Amino acid sequence: MKQTDSQGIGPAPVLNLPVKKEKRAMEILIIGIGFLILVPLISIHRVTDFMIFCIFALSFDLLYGYMGRLSFGHLLYLGTGAYIYGLLIKYFQTNAFLAILCGVLAAGFLGILLGPIMVRATGACFSLMALAFNQIGFFLVLSPLKHITNGEDGFGAHAQSIGFLNFSSKTTMFLLALILLLLVFYVLKRLTASPYGILVRSIKEDENRVRFLGYNTYFYKWVTFVIASSIAGLAGTLTALNYKFVNPNVMDVHQNVGVVFACLIGGAGNLYGAIIGGVAYMMISNYLAIYIHRWEMFLGLSMLIIVFKFRKGIWGNIQDIGEYFRRPKEIRPAAQKGA
Amino acid sequence: MLYTIFYGFSIGAILYFVSIGLSLTFGTMRVVNFAHTLTYSIGVYVLITFIPWLQGNFIPAAVIAILAVVPISYLIERFIIRRLYGESLDYTFIATFAITLIGVDTIKLIWGVNPLPFSTPMSTYLDFWGMTFPVYRILIFAIAIVLFLGLELFFRKTIVGKIVVAALDDKDGVRCLGVRVDKYFSLMFIIGSALAALGGVLYAPISAVQPYMGLSILLLAFAVVIVGGMGNLRGTFISAFALGMVMALTARYWSQGAETMVFIVMAIVLCFRPLDA
Repeated sequence: MKQTDSQGIGPAPVLNLPVKKEKRAMEILIIGIGFLILVPLISIHRVTDFMIFCIFALSFDLLYGYMGRLSFGHLLYLGTGAYIYGLLIKYFQTNAFLAILCGVLAAGFLGILLGPIMVRATGACFSLMALAFNQIGFFLVLSPLKHITNGEDGFGAHAQSIGFLNFSSKTTMFLLALILLLLVFYVLKRLTASPYGILVRSIKEDENRVRFLGYNTYFYKWVTFVIASSIAGLAGTLTALNYKFVNPNVMDVHQNVGVVFACLIGGAGNLYGAIIGGVAYMMISNYLAIYIHRWEMFLGLSMLIIVFKFRKGIWGNIQDIGEYFRRPKEIRPAAQKGA
Repeated sequence: MLYTIFYGFSIGAILYFVSIGLSLTFGTMRVVNFAHTLTYSIGVYVLITFIPWLQGNFIPAAVIAILAVVPISYLIERFIIRRLYGESLDYTFIATFAITLIGVDTIKLIWGVNPLPFSTPMSTYLDFWGMTFPVYRILIFAIAIVLFLGLELFFRKTIVGKIVVAALDDKDGVRCLGVRVDKYFSLMFIIGSALAALGGVLYAPISAVQPYMGLSILLLAFAVVIVGGMGNLRGTFISAFALGMVMALTARYWSQGAETMVFIVMAIVLCFRPLDA
């Protein structure tokens, strides 16, 4: 959870509100360099995959970490983006950018449609409704829309190259994903540091109090939901663009656990946490599955450990250590000496 | 058409078995138990293991299957769920989902990934006004009715049932009276899991047996509990049969859409019902 837990009452501490421009540029630079360093270590294709997943994890984090709504059906929006992108490429035109734009808009539109129903609910109801909608979407592409989506087998979608941008080149895809990831990160960073972002975090802490202050929380929740679903849609279009292929697996209900795990292990409620968690999850699912056959069991066990012992996630712990060293020596709490 | 209604009743009965435990755990402990239908699948697999041992005797094998679930559910309750009381719903959700992952993987480890064949233990049919009904499905329906009446009696007449009903309403109030609520919750959890296993045992002969079978019925059970109202026992009964009927009627005209129609009904209900959980 967040640092506010120990304080109990009082507004959420407004951290890092006046972020200087240079600092933000530095942060983006660090993330970009981080992914560039990953490239020689693992193949470039995989890093592209990682980054697309990170975009998805960021959108999930906005919903879960910042607004406190655990969605067990977030893949619906990713799948919508992927399918709209693929169908446009397949049937109408081959301009990738236009298709990406349409995919994002479609996912956002779905968010606008479902948002009013979804955001009324909290906690378990929200998760279960998300799950139910995801199941409906999965079923729709699998069966009633079979003649256009080709059901279980999926279909290929090849985008034509635009100018010097050749989408079948791995480097182009890498750069495109990197730029979009940094863009999403930048936008979310601005958004979450703005008064709007503070409001969203306050909704997580105590919605009634925010309502007492005179805010229409319903509207803010809806807007957040639409933003999160649009970004998930962006991740979906990139997935389709990267694989040049769309099948119902992109919105399989059971895959949702991946992004939940990523967000938790990285540290929910923090954009860095989402990125670190996304990379960590992809590392685990890509490499551990080779060595450990029973990989679902490992995932389950580590989720239990996270829930009981490691709630702050990787980034939360890094922050704690950083906080410890930033303090003057005299007031460092003795209990944390080992940190 | 009469057949369709009849099938609706038997599906509704199965849904009732599975979702009653879910409703109880949610109502008393405020825990959304994703691991609930894990016991459902374990029950089925134990049943399949024991049937050849008992020379094809269905009923003793079913009893063994239901009893086998009791210690497992106790362990889950004691070491995972009990530590999550009063926590935010998200964590209970994630933790119980993690249990499901572990459980499904264990099932795969022991019994393999492939679906197992299993056929109806009773293939007799009953002639009735010129129509034939499979006895097995009638039996399922009868058991559901008996169970409903039994649970009603249990919650109204016995002291344990009364404590649980009171705790559904106000947990702290009951605790203030000096009742160890946790003990009763534990009991409720085990009963709920055993009922889920009963549902699984009864449903297995008319459905496919595979490691992920629990997950697909779990979603349906959640829909039943949400439509019926979480922790509302009679609401669960009515909504289980209503949704079973929805499934049967949809399946008659459009067989793939049966499960999805349940979720559509659930979404519609949620649009008009005040949300409290």
